[in-house]
Amino acid sequence: MKGLKQIWRQYRLNRWFLFLLLVGLFALPLPQFVAPERKLVTNSLLFSFTQMFMLITLASNWNLTGGFTGYVDFGHAVFFGLGAYGTGILMNKLGWPFWPAMVVGGMISAVFAVLIGSATLRLKGPYFSISMLGTFVAMREIVRVSKPLTGGGEGLTLPPYLNRPLFYYITLILAILVVTLIWWIRRTEFGATLIAIREDEIGAEMRGINTTLNKITAFWIAAFLSGLVGGLWAYQNTFIDPDVVFFESRTVELVMMTMLGGLGTVAGPVIGAAVIYWLRDVVWASFFQYHLLVEGALLIIIVLFVPEGIMGALGDDSSTSLGRIMRRWFRESPKEGVA
Amino acid sequence: MDQFLQALINGVMLGGFYAVMVLGFSVIWGVMGVINLAHGELVMLGAYITWVLNKQFGWEPFAALVVVMPVMFVLGYILQRVLINRVVERPHLISLLVTFGLGIMLSNSVKLIYTADPRQTKTALSGFWRVGQITFPVTKTYILLAALIIMLLLYLFLQYTRTGKSIRAAAQNREAARIVGIEIHQVYAITFAICTALTGAAGMLISPTQAIFPFMGPPLTLKAFAITAMSGLGSIPGALMGGIVLGLVEVFIATYIPGIGTNLGIVSSFVLLVVVLVTRPQGLFGGLQPATEVR
Amino acid sequence: MKHKFPRLLTLLVILMLFLAACGGGQGGEEPTAPPQEEPTQAPAEEETGGGEEAAAPEFDGVIRLGAAVSETGKYAREGKDTRQGYNLWLDWVNNEYGGIRVGDKRYKVEIVYYDDEGDPDTAANLVEKLITEDEVDFLLGPYSSGLTIATSAIAEKYGVIMVEGNGASESIFERGFQNIFGVLTPAGNYTQSALKALADKGAKTVVVAYEDTAFPTSVAEGAIKWAEEYGMEVLAVETYPKDVADVSAIMTKFRDLNPDVFVGGGHFNDALLFVSAAQELGFTPKAMVITVGPSNPQFVEEVGDAANYIIGPTQWEASMTWQGKYLGTPAEYAARYEAMWNEPPTYQAAESTATALALQAAIENAGTLEMDAVREALRNLDLMTFYGPIRFDETGKNVAKPMGAIQIQDGEILVVAPEEAAVADLLYPMPAWEDR
Repeated sequence: MKGLKQIWRQYRLNRWFLFLLLVGLFALPLPQFVAPERKLVTNSLLFSFTQMFMLITLASNWNLTGGFTGYVDFGHAVFFGLGAYGTGILMNKLGWPFWPAMVVGGMISAVFAVLIGSATLRLKGPYFSISMLGTFVAMREIVRVSKPLTGGGEGLTLPPYLNRPLFYYITLILAILVVTLIWWIRRTEFGATLIAIREDEIGAEMRGINTTLNKITAFWIAAFLSGLVGGLWAYQNTFIDPDVVFFESRTVELVMMTMLGGLGTVAGPVIGAAVIYWLRDVVWASFFQYHLLVEGALLIIIVLFVPEGIMGALGDDSSTSLGRIMRRWFRESPKEGVA
Repeated sequence: MDQFLQALINGVMLGGFYAVMVLGFSVIWGVMGVINLAHGELVMLGAYITWVLNKQFGWEPFAALVVVMPVMFVLGYILQRVLINRVVERPHLISLLVTFGLGIMLSNSVKLIYTADPRQTKTALSGFWRVGQITFPVTKTYILLAALIIMLLLYLFLQYTRTGKSIRAAAQNREAARIVGIEIHQVYAITFAICTALTGAAGMLISPTQAIFPFMGPPLTLKAFAITAMSGLGSIPGALMGGIVLGLVEVFIATYIPGIGTNLGIVSSFVLLVVVLVTRPQGLFGGLQPATEVR
Repeated sequence: MKHKFPRLLTLLVILMLFLAACGGGQGGEEPTAPPQEEPTQAPAEEETGGGEEAAAPEFDGVIRLGAAVSETGKYAREGKDTRQGYNLWLDWVNNEYGGIRVGDKRYKVEIVYYDDEGDPDTAANLVEKLITEDEVDFLLGPYSSGLTIATSAIAEKYGVIMVEGNGASESIFERGFQNIFGVLTPAGNYTQSALKALADKGAKTVVVAYEDTAFPTSVAEGAIKWAEEYGMEVLAVETYPKDVADVSAIMTKFRDLNPDVFVGGGHFNDALLFVSAAQELGFTPKAMVITVGPSNPQFVEEVGDAANYIIGPTQWEASMTWQGKYLGTPAEYAARYEAMWNEPPTYQAAESTATALALQAAIENAGTLEMDAVREALRNLDLMTFYGPIRFDETGKNVAKPMGAIQIQDGEILVVAPEEAAVADLLYPMPAWEDR
C-alpha cells in the first residue's frame, strides 16, 4: 500500500485534472433528468459517449495482452462476440434478465480464452497474431452454422430496452473500473511479470516465472472484460448476427487506438480511443467516400512516424516512468546490431 | 466413386490456384520477414488489370499476363522502395500494421475508380471435357497448368540465376550476405517486385472463375497465411503441397457433409492452421530459414 | 531523445492537416458532390430544385419526415437510390400534388436526412436524434434489413411510425412491433411467383443453395415452403458462407441429383459463381432461379450469353403493368425518374417512392396527424400504386403485392410472372450448356 501512496503523490497535478474530468463525465447526463425539455444534453450525445466508453474498455483490455505482455492479438473481437452471443442466447432463448446474462456471457469468453489461450499463447510473434485471427474467423462460421442455438445467419433479437443515460453510466463505470484495474495490475508483481515476459520471455522463464500461467491469466481477464462489453453492446443494439458482432475491423481499430495512444501504457488506449472515435466522426463527415482511404493512410503514418504514440511523444522523463519504459522498449525493439 | 473422383479433381484445381496465390506471400515472408497483409489486395489489383484489358480491349485473360506481370513488378518495386523498406528491420507489429493500412488504401482506391460492383472476365477457354460421369473444367485446367509453369519458373530462377542465389543468401543470413557484397536493399526490392508480379499473375488466374470486387482481398490473405504457416516459409514445393492439401480438405468436407459442408470447409482451413501451428510451428515441409524470426 | 521532437512535430502536423481538411472539407467537397449527397437538413425546395417554387400553392402547415439513409459505407449506392426515390416523391407531393391533404388542409412536406454510414450503431443513434431533437412526425426507413432491424427498435421505443421499403427480412416483422410497416414483398415470398410458374410448366424437383445470412435465409426458407406448396419435391438444401470463393462442391452434389429447378443465391458475387460453376461442371437443371443478380442489368453484362434462360425474382420492373392511384404506371414513373435524376430507376428507388406514397395515403385517410389514427389508417390501408398493391397485415408486412419474376431472354430482362404483370412467356426447360 505504501507503494500505491507514493505513486499517487507523483500524480498530484494529474489527480486534480482527473478528478474534474470524472466529475464532469458523471454530471454530463444530469440535464436529461432535471430539464429534459431543454435538450441541453441529448440522448444521441450520450449514445456517442457510450460508444466511446466501450471502445476505451476494449482497447484497454487489448492492451493487457497486446501492450503489456507483447502478444499482439488480432482476434480479440472473438471475446466481444462470444460475450454478445452468450448474453443474446441467454436472454432470447432462456429468457434470462440482462445482468446475469451479461456476466455469464463474460464468463463464457473467459473460459474460451483459457482453452484457446493454452494452445495459441505458446506461439510467438506473428504466429500467435494470425492464429487468433484464424480463431476469430472460424468462430464466426461456427456461430453461423450452430443455427438452433445462435439463430445462424439470421441472428437473434433481444428485448429492446433503450435507456441511454443508464447505458451511459454502466459503460462509464465499467471503463473506469477497467482502467483502474489495469493501472493497478501494472503496479503489482503480476504486471511486472507481464512486462518481463514481453521484454525477455526466456529470461523470465529461467528466473522461475511460470510464463504460461501468467500469460493465460492476463488473457482471460481481458477476455472476460471484453465479453462484458460485448453483452452490453448486444443489449443496446437489440440485435446481433455473426457479421455485425464478429466484425474484423473492430480488432484493427483497437490496435490502431492503442498504438496511437501508446502501446503498453495505462492511459494510451484511453487517449487513443477517445481521439480516434471523435476524429473518425470528423473524417466521416468531411471526406464522404474517402474516409477509409484516409483511415488507411493515417494508420501507416502513425505506425511509421509516431510508433510510440501520443503518450510516448508527450511523455516527459520527469513526469512518468511509463514514458521511459515505453521509449526504452521502442528504442530497443528494432533488432539491435542489425542496422 | 464418380463423386469422389470429381471432388478430387475440384480439390486439386482449387489447390493449384491456392499454391500460385500463396507463392508471393510465402517468399516475401521467408526472405524479408515481412508478413504482407496487403497480399490479397495485390491479387485483386492483378485481377482488375486483367478485367480492364478484357473488357476494354477484348484481350484474352491469359494473354493479359504479359501486361499484368510487368506492371505489378514495377508497382512492387516502388512499394518496396517507398514503404516496405522502412519496416523490414522493425518489429512484426509495425510491418503488419503498415501492410494492413496499405491494403485498406488499395481496396478503397479501386472502389473509388471502379465501384464495388462485382466483375468477371470472359475467356474463350471455357466449358468442360466430359470423361464418363466426370467433368474437367477447361478454364480451371488451364489455370492449374499456368500455375505449375509459374512455380517451375520461379523455382529455376531461385536455384540457378545469380539474382536468385543472392535472394536465397539474403534469406538465410542477412549479415553474411552483406559481408560478401550483396546489396541487401536492392535484393529486397527485386524480391518484393517479383513476388508482386507473381501475385498479380494469381489475380489474373482468379479472374475468369471468381467474382472480382475491391474487398475480395482479406480472405485470400488469411488463406495465404494459413498455407504458408503450414508449408514452411518460401518453400515452393511446400506451397504446392500446402495449397493442394487445403484445396482437397475444403472440397471434400464441402462434398461429403450435407447442408453446411461449404461453411465447415471454410472453418477447416483455420482449424487446420491453429492445429498445425501449435503442434509443428516450423511448418510441415521446412523451407527458407529466415534470419529475422525475433519477435 | 533526439528523435522525440520530430515525432511530436509529425503528430501535430497530422492533427493540423486533419483540422484543415475538416474545416476546408465542406467548402472543397461541395461542388463535386451531387446535391442529394450533402449531409442535409435543408428544406424541400432546395433539395429538389427551387425552380418550381413559384408554382407551389399556399400551405397550411408542415409535416416533417425523418430518414437516416446511407450516404457512405457499404450501402452508399443503394442509399443514393433510396434518397432519390424519396426525393422524387417529395418533389411531386409538394410541387405537383399540392401537399398532403389532411382533412381540408394542405401540408407541405420536409424530409430531414442523415447519413447512417451503413453502421447499425450510427443508424440507431441518428433515428433517436430525428425523434428527440428534430422532432419529426413520422419516419421513413433506411436501406437494408440489418439497419431496419436496428432502427425500428428505436421507433418502437418512442412509438413513432416508421414506414420502410428497403428491409425485406422476415425478422423485422417478427418482434411484435406496432410501428413498423414495410411496403415491399417480404423475403419469404421472393421466389413464389417464379416457382408457381415453373410448377405450372411441369417442374417436379428442386434444390436450394443459400448464403447463411439473414436475408437469403428468409428467401430460401420461403422457397422451400412454396416449392412444397406447389407440389414439388425438395431434393437437397445447402448453405455457404458470405464471400464464398468456390461453390463447385455444391454444384457437383446437385448435378448428381439431377433436379428440375435450382434455386440459389444471396449476393451478386454468388450469382456469378453459380453460373460459372454450373457451366464448367456441365450441370444443366431445367431452370435456374437466382435470388439476387439477374434483375440487375449488370448481370447480363458480366456473365454474357450464359445469362440467358436464368430466372430471378424482382420487386419491381419498369415494364410491369400496374396502374397506380398516384404517379401512374411503372413506365410513367420511370420516365419521371429519369427526367429528374438522369438515370433509370432501380427497384430500390421505386420501393422508396412507394414507401412515401403509403405513408401519404394513410395520413390522408386518417385525416389527422395523430399517431394512433395514422397507425390505424396504415393497418386498414388498401392502396394500388405504380409499385403494386399495398395492404399490411397485423405484423406490418405487405401481403398484397406478389413478387415478380424475370427471365433473361437474348440478353434482355423480361417479366414472365405473375401473369397480371408479365410481358413475355417463360422459356422452359433451359437447353444444356453444350447445345447453345
